[in-house]
Amino acid sequence: MSSEAFVETAVRGSRLRTVISAGGLAGLGLIAVIVALSDVIARVPAGTLRAGPPSLPPDIAYAFGTDGLGRDVMSETVHALAVTFSGALLATVIAIVVGAVAGFATVRAPLKLGVALRGIVGVLGSLPVLLLAVVAVSIAGHEIAPIAAGLAASPAIFNRSFDRALRLARSRHAEYARATGIPALTLLRRDLVYEVRGDFLNVAGRALASTTITLATLSFLGFGAAPPHVDLGLMIAGARASYLDLWWPALFPALALILLILFARLAAALGEGEPP
Amino acid sequence: MWRDRLLRAAQALGSLLGALVLASLLATLSQHSHGFWPFLCAFSAKLLAAFGGDFGRSAVTDAPAMASALAAFPATLQLLSGGVLIAFLIGIPLGAFLSASRTLRAAAPLMQIIAATPVFVAALALIWIAVRVLHWSEASQASALSWTAFVKAGDRSAALRAFALSALTVGVAGAASIQLSLRRALVRAWSAPYRKGLRMMGLGPLDIDLRYAAPEVLAALLRDVGEIALALISATAVAEWVFHRDGAVVLFLKSAALGDWNVVAAILFLLAVIKLVAEFLGLAASWFVACEDGAP
Repeated sequence: MSSEAFVETAVRGSRLRTVISAGGLAGLGLIAVIVALSDVIARVPAGTLRAGPPSLPPDIAYAFGTDGLGRDVMSETVHALAVTFSGALLATVIAIVVGAVAGFATVRAPLKLGVALRGIVGVLGSLPVLLLAVVAVSIAGHEIAPIAAGLAASPAIFNRSFDRALRLARSRHAEYARATGIPALTLLRRDLVYEVRGDFLNVAGRALASTTITLATLSFLGFGAAPPHVDLGLMIAGARASYLDLWWPALFPALALILLILFARLAAALGEGEPP
Repeated sequence: MWRDRLLRAAQALGSLLGALVLASLLATLSQHSHGFWPFLCAFSAKLLAAFGGDFGRSAVTDAPAMASALAAFPATLQLLSGGVLIAFLIGIPLGAFLSASRTLRAAAPLMQIIAATPVFVAALALIWIAVRVLHWSEASQASALSWTAFVKAGDRSAALRAFALSALTVGVAGAASIQLSLRRALVRAWSAPYRKGLRMMGLGPLDIDLRYAAPEVLAALLRDVGEIALALISATAVAEWVFHRDGAVVLFLKSAALGDWNVVAAILFLLAVIKLVAEFLGLAASWFVACEDGAP
């Protein structure tokens, strides 16, 4: 491949990524609208029994069908999506602050404190996110599941952010800045502003995808949301007993969950198969 | 070169030590010590005992925590090793196939959807397909594989099917990591600047691939063994629960729910050891394969 062809391919790839990212953002925007209007879109309030005949397959009257207790699966899915999305958003904010921002700032910590912290967080990063979240929930209670998911996702984000900031701190512009007497805090602020402008979407999308998976899996295992606040993971867990015959109460929340994660992945412009 | 390698070995040792400290900290929760100094004393005692492999006793069964954890590990390792095998069987051809940009572009939407599917959803979908499409009995997906099941002729098929489904779930999750690592390495190797120079020196593409690109790609794959191991362990955690296997992670979840922190700490430590040891062994193997200075 000639260098011109290589550059052309790279530019085309970059444009494609921008389009994909915009598509992901649009999808997340649509989900945000559905969540905001969940009480209007949903036919009945969350958990309403006998909203229709029990175990009714999807039809015109009930687009997603009804479950064994006569609950409208579409209404339940919309309400559960709202719980999952709002929990994942909170977890994402925590993961960004504790992971990305702290990882970025720690590089400039004095007396090799940053390197030591990177080592400690590296140990946490060698454990599955889900198990860390389970430990946090078991210690502090089900109510903190979104916080636990955010905290559990943060070691991986911290490590990535730290390594990136370390490269920036050792770059030529940082050397010049130090040589000309620019204070470390000013340099950190400048790097952080550039980082937020250039990489925020990737970090936030990754964090959203990761925390959504963790939150839903926590609920599926019985460590996350608890009734009456049913989220998508808990809804799938509830439908598990009968899903081999009544597939629709499990399928639609699963599709909603996959779409949410897919849009977050696309917004972050993650590669095919790349973990969040 | 050797200094860097020694540093990496020291880092791996430090990480193992860190995992031990973390596990001890968790095990200290079982002491219910109030105040900073009592907690510190309890933590120090736990840490000293943990160095000897003693994480205390289970609050539920009163058996030694480490022995309980180790007793549950064979089922986990069985599933993990089956997953590793499937992951490599799927991941390597997939990575090689997708490294050509045209095929990747065609498969990208499907790959993104698969990557966005949580492991528990994929596992439930597999069970549904097995029961409704392949007409496997429901019992086969609910029973865990055991060696005694293999001995009993009647249970052999059911046990094998149960194992195949759970190992496939873990394997697919691992394959995603492997294909990604391989794809990146192949793209890097194919666009490496040295290829042009070697072609000018008269070496054919096959020679360049075999002598230079192949060791580079293998070394890159080995360097990512830690990440692959983490993906496999994470998937095993969920697969054990969905497929009702009495492994270490199911014991972990039950112990966490019951507040049996000594057992939780022992299992968490063993899982960290598996990941960290796999990571270091992969790194060390990559040094030998690539004969380079060990820098990633």
